[in-house]
Amino acid sequence: MTTGRIFSIAAFCAAVAAAPVQAQQPAISVVAIPPMTTPDTGGKGSQSLGIAWQATQMIATDLRSTSELMPLPPNQKDFYSYPEVTAPTFSKWRSAGAKTLVTGFVQSRADGRLTFGCYVYDVDKGRELARKGFVVGGDDWRRAAHKCSGLAYTAVTGAPGVFDTRITYVAETGTGDAKVKRVAIMDSDGFDHRYLTSGDSIVLTPRLSPKGAQVAYVTFAGGKPAVRVLDIGSGAPRPLIVSDAISFAPRFSPDGNRIAFSMMLGANSDIYVIGANGGFPQRLTTAPGIDTDPSFSPDGTKIVFESDRSGTPQLYVMEADGSKQRRLTFGGGWYAAPDWSPDGQWIAFTRRGADGRRIGIIAADGSGEKLLTTGPGDDGASWAPSSRDIVFQRTDAVRRNQIYRVSIDGTEPRKIEIPQDGADPDWSGVMD
Amino acid sequence: MRKAVALLAALLVATSAAAQLPGLRKRAPQPAQPALSGIDALRADFLMRSGADTVYFGQDSALLAVPAKATLAAQAQWLLQHPEIVVRIEGQADPGDTRDHALAMGARRAEEVRSYLVLLGVPAAQLSVATWGKERPGVGRVVTILVR
Repeated sequence: MTTGRIFSIAAFCAAVAAAPVQAQQPAISVVAIPPMTTPDTGGKGSQSLGIAWQATQMIATDLRSTSELMPLPPNQKDFYSYPEVTAPTFSKWRSAGAKTLVTGFVQSRADGRLTFGCYVYDVDKGRELARKGFVVGGDDWRRAAHKCSGLAYTAVTGAPGVFDTRITYVAETGTGDAKVKRVAIMDSDGFDHRYLTSGDSIVLTPRLSPKGAQVAYVTFAGGKPAVRVLDIGSGAPRPLIVSDAISFAPRFSPDGNRIAFSMMLGANSDIYVIGANGGFPQRLTTAPGIDTDPSFSPDGTKIVFESDRSGTPQLYVMEADGSKQRRLTFGGGWYAAPDWSPDGQWIAFTRRGADGRRIGIIAADGSGEKLLTTGPGDDGASWAPSSRDIVFQRTDAVRRNQIYRVSIDGTEPRKIEIPQDGADPDWSGVMD
Repeated sequence: MRKAVALLAALLVATSAAAQLPGLRKRAPQPAQPALSGIDALRADFLMRSGADTVYFGQDSALLAVPAKATLAAQAQWLLQHPEIVVRIEGQADPGDTRDHALAMGARRAEEVRSYLVLLGVPAAQLSVATWGKERPGVGRVVTILVR
């Protein structure tokens, strides 16, 4: 090992020690990621090795984006042999300060595709935690690397990784009356950024189906808000309901078969549910006033929503058939825009008070309320599939919107880099 | 701004005519007089005689205040004299509101205005409601827009 390498590890450990770690936070696991290698030889060998190095760097970037794992910076000069992938020298990684080791290889196949092998080890115990193989198209090595990151993250934390996931949001350009809004979608690391609508009409609140094949959103194309469902593959949108009633706030059920949404009847906004491929809307709430923003529990049996039936907007929970409606929030202030976490534990919300709009979470039984952001212009929380991170939008003093990500352990929100302003983010589940 | 409103109005005429009244397209060619100048003149008259095309609401409220009711009474009088006119009542919420609550609040305010105009005798067929939530500049108000 070179002196430079030792120095960089030392510097990294110092940085970890200096970071303000909260008492209840689990210890950060230092991860060593030696360069992925290849059994290929000759010209193919150097090609595979090139991809392997890119994949190694991407895994390090993925894991660095989490609050639980701290990857040591991979060094291309550290040659790692193919046999070492499945038989690592644990003492070497122990002395480097690593708790977890991620190794892997890339092998080219006769059909032009690539086989990825990915291995995760507990360095202290000297044993394998997980292994997985992926076959991907030659241009699709990024997805394999993301899946490898997910394998490592899950092996250490027990939670699903968020690396092979997508985020949809409303891309905004211009200001005031001239603001152009388009539904955009990208990989959660910002790659493969695309626009799904043209910008002819205002669009709001895109919501991905669980497998990410469809997106439900609100358009003003007909002069007033109406929900449409867009097939991302074909790019073809269709109206969710046949009536010309005002409809908004769509969200898919966890199995993707139903969509809950709000519809206006006179001055009354109620929650309805309808088949994701059509059908007749079933009315779930009847209270006078504004019932909106339904979000399913991960098992699909319950719905959390916002209602001002008590005088101010508060969160309520009901069975998915509309029965047993009960109030969840009593903390003072106004509660809106709930989103049920994928692990079922938490409900994220926007709280409106004298200090503006802030993002918070509350346990699904109504206990343990905790505010995660300081506002004053935050809204639209959406959970990452890990149930540990939340994306939301932040509106600044001149009413421009940006997308932020915050961890539920209360660390400072981080801005997500996108090509323009953005609002209404929605984080997909893990792709198949 | 005024230009943008006029343009929007023109768009609304075009889209609503095409979307809501397919029969309109089958009708014989439109009269030679430019339709836009006609509706512009009517809009100016409506604005002058009813005093305002806009009523304002208190924060997070959909209740009509006394000045709003006075404005709507004048609007109703004008609409009763122009039974051929159709208006769109567009509700707006407050920028501090959350996204979807704002849509519902805008719609609720617009519905409040619509109900009051109906109460004053304006035929429901002359009135339609829409909401902008907080997607447009302007706070806590409902605008009555002549569509045709």
